[in-house]
Amino acid sequence: MELAIEVEGLVKSFGRARALDGLDLTVRAGEVHGFLGPNGAGKSTTIRTLLGLLRADSGRVTLLDGDPWREAAELHRRLAYVPGDVSLWPGLTGGEVIDLLGRLRGGLDRARRADLLERFELDPRKKAKTYSKGNRQKVALVAAFASDADLLILDEPTSGLDPLMEAIFQQCVAEEKQRGRTVLLSSHILSEVEALCDRVTIIRRGRTVEAGPLSQLRGLSRSRVSAELASPPNGLTRMPDLHAVRIDGNRISFEVDRTRLDAALAELIRVGVRDLTCTPPSLEDLFLRHYESAKAER
Amino acid sequence: MNGTWTLTKLALKRERFVVPLWLVLLVALAAGQVQRYATGIPDIAAFAREMAANQALTAFAGEIPSATLAGMAVWKNADAIYTILGLIMILTVVRHSRGEEESGRAELVGAGVVGRLAPLTAALAVACGSAVLAGLLTAAAMAATGAGAAGSLAFGAAIAAAGLVFAGMGAVAAQLTQTARTAIGVAALGLGLSYVLRFVADGSGLAALKWLSPHGWSHLVRPYGDNNVAVLLLSLAFTAATLALAYRLLARRDLGHGLIPERPGPAASDRLRSSLRLAWRLQKGLLGGWIAGYAIAGLVLGALATSIEEVARQGAAVEEFFRRYTASPEATMTDAYLWLIALSLGYVSALYPLLVLLRLRSEETTGRAELLLSTPVSRVRWVAGHLLFALAGTALILATAGLTMGLVAGAPGKVLAGALVQVPATWTLAGVGVLAFGLLPRAAAAISWAAFLFVNLFGEVLGPILGIDYWIAKYAVPYPNLPMVISGEPFTATAIAIMTGITAVLVSAGLAAVRRRALT
Repeated sequence: MELAIEVEGLVKSFGRARALDGLDLTVRAGEVHGFLGPNGAGKSTTIRTLLGLLRADSGRVTLLDGDPWREAAELHRRLAYVPGDVSLWPGLTGGEVIDLLGRLRGGLDRARRADLLERFELDPRKKAKTYSKGNRQKVALVAAFASDADLLILDEPTSGLDPLMEAIFQQCVAEEKQRGRTVLLSSHILSEVEALCDRVTIIRRGRTVEAGPLSQLRGLSRSRVSAELASPPNGLTRMPDLHAVRIDGNRISFEVDRTRLDAALAELIRVGVRDLTCTPPSLEDLFLRHYESAKAER
Repeated sequence: MNGTWTLTKLALKRERFVVPLWLVLLVALAAGQVQRYATGIPDIAAFAREMAANQALTAFAGEIPSATLAGMAVWKNADAIYTILGLIMILTVVRHSRGEEESGRAELVGAGVVGRLAPLTAALAVACGSAVLAGLLTAAAMAATGAGAAGSLAFGAAIAAAGLVFAGMGAVAAQLTQTARTAIGVAALGLGLSYVLRFVADGSGLAALKWLSPHGWSHLVRPYGDNNVAVLLLSLAFTAATLALAYRLLARRDLGHGLIPERPGPAASDRLRSSLRLAWRLQKGLLGGWIAGYAIAGLVLGALATSIEEVARQGAAVEEFFRRYTASPEATMTDAYLWLIALSLGYVSALYPLLVLLRLRSEETTGRAELLLSTPVSRVRWVAGHLLFALAGTALILATAGLTMGLVAGAPGKVLAGALVQVPATWTLAGVGVLAFGLLPRAAAAISWAAFLFVNLFGEVLGPILGIDYWIAKYAVPYPNLPMVISGEPFTATAIAIMTGITAVLVSAGLAAVRRRALT
């Protein structure tokens, strides 16, 4: 198995609303894959289709070499899932839920369970109805990390965790990767994705807009340059390779593809440079750009 | 009390379809019965005399308030109206108070400019308002059939009072427990107790017991007879006391919490190893409650059997009664009574499998099913775990009542058999529950309650009111078709086999639908 998840042209509608509109997603075995998109982009719908809870209207969905709709129970032996909004049985304690989920998945590592409970500072004797959102998430996370599943599907798993617990979570995912497991991580937290993910898929309005290794994403190959020049930068704006150009008196800032950086700097030097900063792109820039265009289209 | 009006409007909006529906149902039950007797019974006074002599029927319906057309209609259906209205009140109050808290919506609302007491006040305003409306509409409809104005008003007041009492009971129950489900259970226990006390009072002749039962207070009004509306001061006092208690409890406790604090539980568990074990954990409380309730009901109602007086088989009404509930000329009045009780236990047990299966829907809407089904548990296995309780639990509950009632009444074998033949009839409701969950999950709760009311009302009451004869209407509901093994009919498997077959078909179709549909 080379690909843990392979989704091609996935379409899913609810009544008239088209939630997924030809979505593609490829997750390689053994990688940590970031799954990003604004609210309502279709992340959870995709995950629920992967779990066989929803049936695809059209498109091809392969999970661990199987069909998630027809072979749901069989495939679930090899995966563990943490929902974005964890709801637990109110009368059961956290420890009971962890053991229940573990046994249903075919056993769990007792030592690792104890270790995770300690690291996440979770009291397993409390009834689930007394847990906060973060603690409910920890219950599901401990059950998932202590299982011996090949694939972890985590849907915004840290949205209720505090920064300390977020750091513990990142350690755990790194450990999972070392043990050779595949992780699909849907997230809003960019530092988390930048720190953990080998590759990312960004979706918007039910479609994939970017996919690949972080370093190769289209928008990420640009750098942002800000400079103070000796005189107003007349003529520079006509260079075809500059993007998002802003000019204020003698100051100029623009984005440029890294392969075109030489030519751009040569132009600046021709005018005369007094001050210069050149910053590498962040995932945040890319993310915001997609969010902004999503808003503009709405 | 800030925000009460806004919340009341919100609750009214959420109830805009349900309240009119049951209002129509209750009014039809009252006024429709007058129409039916007006066309079907030539000599109402003779009919009243025959009915009054029948102690088994007196236990079920209460004393006859007056030997008039309207009085007999009240006698026939008032007890059912008080009980159904009581159940609706409990459900309404709990849904808009504890239900909102449990879902977390009350927290969102409570953070606004909303007083601590506002949500309960809004829930009570809607419930009590609609109870009073039910009373007024019934009074108007009764008067429109030509019944006396004073009697009609007294009947309307008795209905409204019954509604208020159980709204108050629901309000207290909603403060005691953390989940809406348990609150409904606690309040329903009070409703059942009130029903049984009144039943025993009229069945045994211990009339004083009636003064201890909210059902009894409404019965004591005797509309179209004494029109003794003053008794309802008891209902009002009881309502005031329960409301005072509910508000007192509400003012003291934290949002989202009950009165009983949570204790820590086990840190680990070896027992929960399958979805069936989880189903047992989730269902055992409901099952235990029903078994306890049915054991007690069996004891009390069985004890009454020893005091039932025999009547001669004379007069059209008495003959019709024996024709319906016995199958042999040797069958006695006591036999008829015991069969009626067994049937009634069957009719009420129809609710149990529906409640068990609605649990599936709440597992789905809360997202717990999503977590469970992300493990190697298949959908069919998940549903089957709960279905097992719906089916085996029904048998267990009815067997318990059959045993206790049979032992006390002195005919254990016969009565147990009579209780057990009800099982396949109740199973058909389990089939309806599974099919509703599979095909129309969003409407599953509405379908379940409608099925329960339909089964309980159609054969004997609603069918005849709609002009469908009892002997035809009975084929639309399972229970009247069962062999009357207590009152002289030999056991035959035909009806049982048909009902089991229907259940199997419904369950298979339901499971197939569950496998095909999207989980929401």
